[in-house]
Amino acid sequence: MIKPKSALFHFVVVFTGVLLAFYALDQLVMFAQGLPLNWDLSPAQ
Amino acid sequence: MLSPENKKRLLLKLATMKYKRVSFAGLAILSLLLFSLTPSIEHGSLLAEVNAEQLTATQPVQATATKEATKVADALTGATLTGAPRTTAGDYPQIGFSSRSIVWFFAQMHLFLAAFVLAVPIFVFFIEYLGVKTAESRYDDMAKEFMRISMTAYAITALFGGALAFALFLLYPHLMAYLMKVFGAQTLVYALLFFAESAILYIYYYSWDGLKYGNRKWVHLSLGLLLNVVGTTLLVMANAWATFTMAPSGVDAGGAVTGGIWEIIRGPLWNPVNLHRFIANIAFGGAIVGAYAAFKFLSARTLEQKAHYDWMGYTSNFIAVLAFLPLPFAGYWLMAEIYAYSQQMGITAMGGILAWLFIIQAVLIGTILLASNFYLWSGMSRCDGSKRYQWMVKYIAGVLVLGFLIWVTPHTLILSSGEMAQLGGSHHHILGPLGIMPAKNIAVNLMLIATFLSFQLFRRSDKIITVSWAKTGNLLLISIYVIAVANIIFLGVYFGYFTNTVYKVGSSVAQVCSTLVVIFAGVTIDSMMFKGAKTLPTVWGRVSDRAQYALFALPVAFTWLMALMGYVRSSIRTHWHVYAVMKDNSPDNFIPSIGYAGNMITLVTIAFLLITLFIFWIASLSSKQQVKPVESAGYRQQSIEVMGKK
Repeated sequence: MIKPKSALFHFVVVFTGVLLAFYALDQLVMFAQGLPLNWDLSPAQ
Repeated sequence: MLSPENKKRLLLKLATMKYKRVSFAGLAILSLLLFSLTPSIEHGSLLAEVNAEQLTATQPVQATATKEATKVADALTGATLTGAPRTTAGDYPQIGFSSRSIVWFFAQMHLFLAAFVLAVPIFVFFIEYLGVKTAESRYDDMAKEFMRISMTAYAITALFGGALAFALFLLYPHLMAYLMKVFGAQTLVYALLFFAESAILYIYYYSWDGLKYGNRKWVHLSLGLLLNVVGTTLLVMANAWATFTMAPSGVDAGGAVTGGIWEIIRGPLWNPVNLHRFIANIAFGGAIVGAYAAFKFLSARTLEQKAHYDWMGYTSNFIAVLAFLPLPFAGYWLMAEIYAYSQQMGITAMGGILAWLFIIQAVLIGTILLASNFYLWSGMSRCDGSKRYQWMVKYIAGVLVLGFLIWVTPHTLILSSGEMAQLGGSHHHILGPLGIMPAKNIAVNLMLIATFLSFQLFRRSDKIITVSWAKTGNLLLISIYVIAVANIIFLGVYFGYFTNTVYKVGSSVAQVCSTLVVIFAGVTIDSMMFKGAKTLPTVWGRVSDRAQYALFALPVAFTWLMALMGYVRSSIRTHWHVYAVMKDNSPDNFIPSIGYAGNMITLVTIAFLLITLFIFWIASLSSKQQVKPVESAGYRQQSIEVMGKK
C-alpha cells in the first residue's frame, strides 16, 4: 500500500496528471484537424 | 499635504513616467500604423478602383471564372488587361556566362547579408532593453558591439541588392517588366522604406552614446523598435515578390492583374515564408555574431577580454538555438502550404530528385544541433555546480547521434542491379522503414527535446533551487519529458506505420505539440523555480578553445543550409518564371542538376564567409588605436629606413 505522503505517491500523482494531460492533447489536436480518435487513441474514422 | 519639494519631485516622476510611456508606446503605435498602412496602399493602376471582390476569386490561377471578371474590369475601367508576356529564347540577353548563375549568386549573397542585417537589430533591441531593466552596462555594451558588426554588413548588403537588381533587369527584362507591372507602386514603397531603414539605422547606431541614460535611453529604444518594424516590413514586402513567383495571386490564369496590391501580396505562401524567414534570420544572425565572439575570444590577450567574448559567444549561441528550435515547425507549415497550393509542386520538392537534398539538409541540421549542444556542454565547465548534471550529457549525445543517423537514412537508393539483388530489393529490410517521414519526425522531435534539455541543464548549472516545492517541480519536469518522448514515439510508430496517410500526417502535428509543451513547460516551470534560487559563481572565460570552433561550425552549416533550401524553394517552380502564369523560355529553363547546384551553393557559401571575415576585420578596426610613437626615436628610425633604401 502506497502511503499518501510518500515520495512514490507524490510521483504517481504527478505522473498520472501529466499522462492525462498528454492524452487530452492528442485527442484535442487530432480532433481539431478533423481526425477524431477513439478512447484508446485508435482512428475513429 | 505635500511639501513643495515633494510635490515637485512627484511631478517630475510623473512626467518622466509619462515621457517613457509616450516615447515608447507612441513609437510602437506609429510602427504598427506603418505596418498596417503598407499593404493597404492600393495598386497604382485603374483596376484599384474596381471592386476586386466582384472581379476575382482568392485563388485566381485556379479560378477560370476570372476571365469573366477581366471582361468586367475592361468594361469598367476602359483599360485593356494584358497578361504575362510570352517570351522566346531570343528575349533573354546573353553575356557569355549563364544568366541564371549570375542572378543566383547575387540573389543568394544579398539574401545572406539581408538576413543578417535584419536579424541583428531584433535581438539587439531585446538585449538593450534587458540592459535597461537590469541596469547592467554589459548588456548595453554587447548590444552596441553587435550593431557595429551589422553596420559594415549593411553597406555590403545594399551593394549586392543593387547588383542583383541590375543583373535581373539586364538578363531577364521581360520578367522584370511584368513584375513591375504587377507590383506597381509597391516597389517604390519598398524603396522609401529602404531609405527609412538606412536613416533610422544610422541614427540608432551613432546616437547610442548620446542617448544612453534616463529618458533619452527610452528614445533610443524606441528608435530600435522603429528600426525593427521598418526592417521587418521590408522583409515581408520582398517575400511577397518571391512568393508571387511561386504561388501567384491577384492575377488571372493569363497573368493579367485582376486584384488590388493587397491581394497580390497576400498569396497562399506569403505568411509561411514570412514566419520561416523571420525565425531563420534570427537564428542565422545569432550564429554569425557567435562566430565573431569566438574569433575575438581566440585572439583575446587578457582574461577580461576572454570573459567578455565568452559571454558574448554564449549569448549568441543562446539566440541561435532559441530561434532554431521552432524553425523545423515553421518549415513544416511552409511545406504543408506548398502541398495544399499545388500537390505537383510539393511532390517535386519532396518526392523527386530534390528529395535527396532533404537528406543533406538533415546532415546540416544535425551538424547545427551537435555543435550547439557541444558548445552548451563545454560551457558547463564555467560553473562548478554543473557537475551535478554532467552524467546526463552522454545520454543526450546518444539521442542526438541516433536521431541524426535516422534522419540521414534515405528511403530509396540509387543502386545497380547487383546491389539490388544483394540487398533483396530497392529498400533495406531493416533500415528501409527509417527512410520515411514518421521515423524522421520522431528523430527530429527527440533531437529538439534533447537540445532543450542541454539548454535547461546549462541554465540550472549555476543555481541551487530553494523553493519549497522544488521536489514536485522536478517530478513534474521529469514526467513531462518522459511522457512527451513516449508520446512522440507512439504517435510516430502507431499512426506512421499502422494507420492511413491522413492520420499519419495529422499525428505529426500532435508530435510537434508535444515538443512545444516540453519547451514551454520547461521554461515556465524553471522560471518559477528559479525565484529566490542561490546563484553559484560562474567564471566567464573558463571554457575550452574547442567550444569556440563549435561556434564557427554554426554559421558555416547555417549558410550552406540556407543556400541549399533556397535552391529547393526556387527550383520547384520548374520551367516557370511565375508558376503556371509566365513560362521561362530562357536557355536555363530546367531544374539545375544537384552537382551543379552543389558547386553554386558551395561557391556562395565560401564567398559569404569571406565577406563575413572582412566584416569582422572591419568591425575590429574601429577599436584599434595606434600607439603614439616617441618623436625623436621614431624620426631617427624613419631616417635610418629611408637612408637604407637609398
